[in-house]
Amino acid sequence: MTMVQPQVQNVVQELAARISHDDVLRCIRCGLCAYTCPTYRVEECESMAPRGRLALVRAVIEGKLELSPRFAEKFYDCVLCAACTSACPSGTKADAMLLEARHVLFDAGLVPEPVRGLLERLETRHNISGEENAGRLVWCSNMEHAPTGLGRSQAETVYFVGCVGSLFPMSFSIPQAFSQTLDLAGVEYALLGGEEWCCGYPAFISGDVELAREMAAHNLEAVRQAGARQVVVTCPSCYHVFTHVYPELLGEEALAGLKVLHATELLADLLESGALRPAAVPIRVTYHDPCDLGRKSKVFQPPRRVLQAIPGLELVEMASTGANSLCCGGGGNVESSAPALVESMAGRRLAEALDTGAELIVTACQQCKRTLSSAARKRRLRLRTVDVVELVWQALEQTHSGGSR
Amino acid sequence: MEISREFVQELEEIVGPTYVHTDPVDLQCYAFDATFEEWRPDVVVRPATTEEVARVLRLCHEARVPVIPRGMGSGLAGGTVPFPNGGLVLSLTRMNRILEIDEVNMTVTAEAGVITADLQAEVERRGLFYPPDPSSIKHSTIGGNIACNAGGPRCLKYGVTKDYVMGVKAVLADGRVFSAGGKPIKYVTGYDLPALLTGSEGTLAVVTEALLRLTVKPTVVRTATVVFHDLDLASQAINKVLWAGFVPATLELMDDTTIHTVEEYLHIGLPLDAAALLIVESDGRDEKVVDDEMRGMVEIFRAAGASEVRVAKDEKEREALWKGRRSVSPSLARRRPHKLGEDISLPRSAIPEAIRRIKGVAAKYGLPIAIFGHAGDGNLHPNILFDRRNAEEWARVQQAMAEIFAIALELGGTLTGEHGVGIMKRPFVPQALDPVAVEAMWRIKRALDPHNILNPGKIFPTDMKV
Ligand SMILES: Cc1cc2nc3c(=O)[nH]c(=O)nc-3n(C[C@H](O)[C@H](O)[C@H](O)COP(=O)(O)OP(=O)(O)OC[C@H]3O[C@@H](n4cnc5c(N)ncnc54)[C@H](O)[C@@H]3O)c2cc1C
Ligand code: SF4
Ligand code: SF4
Repeated sequence: MTMVQPQVQNVVQELAARISHDDVLRCIRCGLCAYTCPTYRVEECESMAPRGRLALVRAVIEGKLELSPRFAEKFYDCVLCAACTSACPSGTKADAMLLEARHVLFDAGLVPEPVRGLLERLETRHNISGEENAGRLVWCSNMEHAPTGLGRSQAETVYFVGCVGSLFPMSFSIPQAFSQTLDLAGVEYALLGGEEWCCGYPAFISGDVELAREMAAHNLEAVRQAGARQVVVTCPSCYHVFTHVYPELLGEEALAGLKVLHATELLADLLESGALRPAAVPIRVTYHDPCDLGRKSKVFQPPRRVLQAIPGLELVEMASTGANSLCCGGGGNVESSAPALVESMAGRRLAEALDTGAELIVTACQQCKRTLSSAARKRRLRLRTVDVVELVWQALEQTHSGGSR
Repeated sequence: MEISREFVQELEEIVGPTYVHTDPVDLQCYAFDATFEEWRPDVVVRPATTEEVARVLRLCHEARVPVIPRGMGSGLAGGTVPFPNGGLVLSLTRMNRILEIDEVNMTVTAEAGVITADLQAEVERRGLFYPPDPSSIKHSTIGGNIACNAGGPRCLKYGVTKDYVMGVKAVLADGRVFSAGGKPIKYVTGYDLPALLTGSEGTLAVVTEALLRLTVKPTVVRTATVVFHDLDLASQAINKVLWAGFVPATLELMDDTTIHTVEEYLHIGLPLDAAALLIVESDGRDEKVVDDEMRGMVEIFRAAGASEVRVAKDEKEREALWKGRRSVSPSLARRRPHKLGEDISLPRSAIPEAIRRIKGVAAKYGLPIAIFGHAGDGNLHPNILFDRRNAEEWARVQQAMAEIFAIALELGGTLTGEHGVGIMKRPFVPQALDPVAVEAMWRIKRALDPHNILNPGKIFPTDMKV
């Protein structure tokens, strides 16, 4: 990672070269996207709305505005949820331009301080937490039965755990639940341990494309070294980066012969074929679509199929759902620089969940779970959030132990 | 406009530093609305209460700083753009609480910054209904709707915003707060100030709260599309429907250019040889009554020469029928980078002639002009499509626009039906209004805002001076 000093003129040219005037002009400034933008709805100011952010790009390209740290802030406080793009009647690809702006800002050395810290950790440790990457398998250590993938270096399938599940104790339950489910279903899989690096998405959306490319190349190589033909992930961002960003970084052929699945796609098939038989879980739940999995990768049905395969479970949808789903606030690496903003965004999503009368929020993302749970705690709400793989394992464990729990 | 550091500090004391913006990055975000007009303000202030608005205005009144009230900036007349001397943009979006829903009297009291769609959703939860439905319900505010007297497809049957404003709380240019109007439906004690403020485009006072009338939510809707190969036949058919005593909830029209543009974008099988496509709706609370009304209207349309009538059988088909109309804006945007959406309003009988003449203008200047609008009330939106970066093309657009206004006026119509005058239609006001009427308006303006600080440079012709 090399930090170039701000060279304003160059940056402006760079911005103009990477974001075409025609593309920004496609925005007719109607303002509709503000209604669905989670940052606007919390702050209610135009500089936190997609239209405002695009107007800034445009003003720079047209020579009406100079670059500044305040300008950069407006791009790093967007959660990159893509709700704007999906709402836009004129077909403006707002989120893609907002991301492109981050890439240019990174090259100009205009990255906010907390993001810079993250990038340094990624570069030196290959993960977001900054701990030794060799410790990526600590989540296995206190399990009653060690996951079979632990000792396996070669397999058809690699379970790519991702940084949060690997290194944040609060999220260990996700890989624990999923690995045991795979074992129960008899799926053979390998875990990459220290050879698994961050998927590259945090680097990519922070603007460091080169670092992201390096991580992508390393991870694909590690998967191939394991002789795998399939990668399964529990993290939606890992899923999105493998399926949508790796081809962009390394070329379409980089994924040749490799299938990438989100855990819910695999689970839906295993549950529907009867390979896994969950016990009844008679509760009413609502499903929160993670942006990277739903709107940005179009995986809407598999998690719902998984939930519907659990006997007794009632699924109710929130007011905004599927492609229109509201971001929990946890995206875009905004958390490190604007925690209060993230908390308020989560609060709006929790309000929608409460409106459904559900007893539990189910999501398919460790980050959404973390964001929603901590906001619920702050608000003293009794509404818990779990990852769908945890709920599935809970139901399987009951069958397993004869429904004694 | 120079704004002093002390002035900014005083503003910060009133609303808190977080809600005063002077960084060029923030100012740029408030330089525009949904038009292509662009003028940067000198400061943006985002108050949270009527009291804060009042104190900000008092300060501006003393310092003679222009104040430009702003809702969500979806305006189509440049009304919230700080033209020509910058000034202070007063953004009301933080004032977004619904204060009271009175179910017995069927009213809602809300702050000016409430998003219209949010207000509608909230009253609908209780079975009530706020009918004004500008297509911008999700990106406009109650305050903006009142300031522009917004209308929508439903207004033939249900009326426009002004028919629902029963009362306001507002702040005068000098910072004094007043309330006017109230819950009685009949209210003639004194001048009707809520009506005066409705449509005043932020030039007379800043609305901070509104008391709005509600009705009961219709539960049954039927939708049909009707195709005509001849504009005159369409127009006569519409008259027959209305003469028969039917009041359709919606009567929307798309001309052939619009039909072609939408079809190119969506490929949904719109009739490319049609002269006009109508969308007709009937609504109410009794299925039989609504069905009968729709059947009656369909019979009249058929007898009057419609070449095709399609009635939606269910919600899915209804959505499909609306899809074409809803996609008009985006499909136009894909055709050319800029569009100038005009908003002329005509006596209903003049619609066919107006469309024919506007087509003449399109041919004369070599510009695509798509015409759609509300056939029931005579409000048409001719949209000129162009690329503003081409100076010669832009000059043609301006000439075409002037001719369209002239056509509207010649046919007994007016410049704007729901978007307002703002900056863009100012030069045409002297042609559109009686000079004595303009003078009377200007006197009202000066009586309420002697230093002309409230949204200067809007509505009135350029030669009006304080
Ligand atoms: C895609 C699209 C579709 C539209 N469809 C329709 C339609 O169907 N019907 C229709 O009528 N309009 C329509 N409009 C125009 C626009 O949405 C309306 O004029 C709307 O009422 C503006 O509300 P706003 O909150 O965005 O106001 P702004 O654009 O922020 O302001 C508009 C004007 O109101 C003044 N103002 C705003 N708030 C206040 C206040 N509290 N007190 C005093 N003055 C105030 C401003 O100074 C300005 O002059 C459309 C616009 C777009 C972009
Ligand atoms: S991005 Fe799309 S929705 Fe948002 S203001 Fe621009 S045109 Fe409207
Ligand atoms: S990506 Fe999400 S947060 Fe960012 S501007 Fe678009 S809607 Fe707002």
